[in-house]
Amino acid sequence: MKFLKTKLCVTILGLTSVFAQAEIAVVVHPSNASAIDSSSISRIFLGKKKSFDGGGQAVPITQDASSAATDEFNSKVLNKSGSQIKSYWSKLVFTGKGTPPKVVANDAEVIKLISADPTLIGYVDASAVTGAVKVIAKF
Amino acid sequence: MKNTLAAAIVLALGATSASAIAADTRINGFASVVAGVTTDEDASMFGYNDNISFKPESLFALQISSDLGDGLSATAQIMSRGSNDYAAEFEWAYLSYDINDSTQINAGKLRIPFYRYSDFLDVGYAYAWARPPQAVYSLVFSTFDGLSLVNNHTIGDWDSTIQGFYGSYDGSVDLVSDEDPATLNNMMGINWTVTYDWFTARAIYAQAETSISFENNEDPERLLNNGIALVGSIYPQVASDLNVDEDIGSFIGLGFAVDYNNLLVEAEFTTVDVEDSIVAKQEQYYVSVGYRFDDFTVYAITEHGEDTNEGDYDYSSDLPESLAITADYTVYPRTAYQTLISSQEETIDTFTVGTRYNFHPSAALKFDITSTKINDADAINVLSVGVDLVF
Repeated sequence: MKFLKTKLCVTILGLTSVFAQAEIAVVVHPSNASAIDSSSISRIFLGKKKSFDGGGQAVPITQDASSAATDEFNSKVLNKSGSQIKSYWSKLVFTGKGTPPKVVANDAEVIKLISADPTLIGYVDASAVTGAVKVIAKF
Repeated sequence: MKNTLAAAIVLALGATSASAIAADTRINGFASVVAGVTTDEDASMFGYNDNISFKPESLFALQISSDLGDGLSATAQIMSRGSNDYAAEFEWAYLSYDINDSTQINAGKLRIPFYRYSDFLDVGYAYAWARPPQAVYSLVFSTFDGLSLVNNHTIGDWDSTIQGFYGSYDGSVDLVSDEDPATLNNMMGINWTVTYDWFTARAIYAQAETSISFENNEDPERLLNNGIALVGSIYPQVASDLNVDEDIGSFIGLGFAVDYNNLLVEAEFTTVDVEDSIVAKQEQYYVSVGYRFDDFTVYAITEHGEDTNEGDYDYSSDLPESLAITADYTVYPRTAYQTLISSQEETIDTFTVGTRYNFHPSAALKFDITSTKINDADAINVLSVGVDLVF
């Protein structure tokens, strides 16, 4: 019993530390001077807004559903579960009203693509941010 | 039958790979596998009877969409329905062009946006229900050939979408048989949806010059056809006001939806009317209430539909009770007319409970029990279990 309790305790501590670490950074190209609020970020990632507030095309990229950053971003910024997002996009895709953002494999790939293209906006685990991109919001 | 689907896919894939150098091509798909059964013998509903069947609501669909650049794209959706012996058919096929960031024009074979769920009626994964409420979603024809213009804009904190469409439909409806040949010309409509975070409201008006033939009437005595002919032989104008021949049909739909703190409330109200015809005025609504618990959603729906027919004029005073054609032959125009008119009246009440479980990121499992009562007949219960997926 005692052993089980200790184990439980460790597990709970382990879980909270995982949550605490998973801060999400929304990143753009370093040359992008737009200020952006969380509602605009959400609208861009849901395909409702197609340009940055300062003008210029905004093209979102997302990460694979299996990536931890995706879960965090969906629940913190879009306020939806993975299957709600999927059902949202299936309504648009199968009626010709929209196409979901391009999906890449991981944080490194998001940074690589964004550092080369000023129109892109993406999200990564905050700990993965490098100087090649600019952080415009953290959640 | 499966070969037809395979052939269509190969053809479509072949066509895209040949031009893949220039175009960015996407392939998406969705599928539903649903088993259903009625709990009563000799009763059928939604295509099910008292033997478990997978055919009525199962379907597979593939969508191929090519982005040709500069806002131009071509999309085709090929669907294979169990109810159609899995024969593959083009459900949608259209070109679309983005005039600017907020306005898109589509041309080709498109979905008529009668209802809130019309556009993605077949994509079960996109909603919680096993099927959209059938007392309201009663118009069996769902696609048209023509143009659609969609504009998205914002009004303060509200997202607003206005769609206008124009085109025609040539196919069948189910009025006196399951397949009455029908033509809808000069079909036009406007559909407006506004959304504020957790709240959505929608209104649509559509109309079309409607013609429906009763030649497929399965009634062995063909009472409806003979009745109209008989009345018409004496009163041609009355027959013309019963037949559905280039008469203006109109559709009005109003709806709202709330998705607030996992509470889901939705309702739609619709009316269908074809003036100067035997077609009854149809009014129907549903109210659905649901709640989302993580991966589970539970819902209950109540539906009511009423088809009433009062006739276009007060024929009861215009038409004589009886008319002697010869000394031995008397007809009863008023009774004949009233019988024809009231043959189209119907009341339907439906109650549904069900649940959706997202057991996989791309798939949902659904259980549903629907009880439908038409006029004074005993209620017919349908149980269904299905899996919907998107890929």
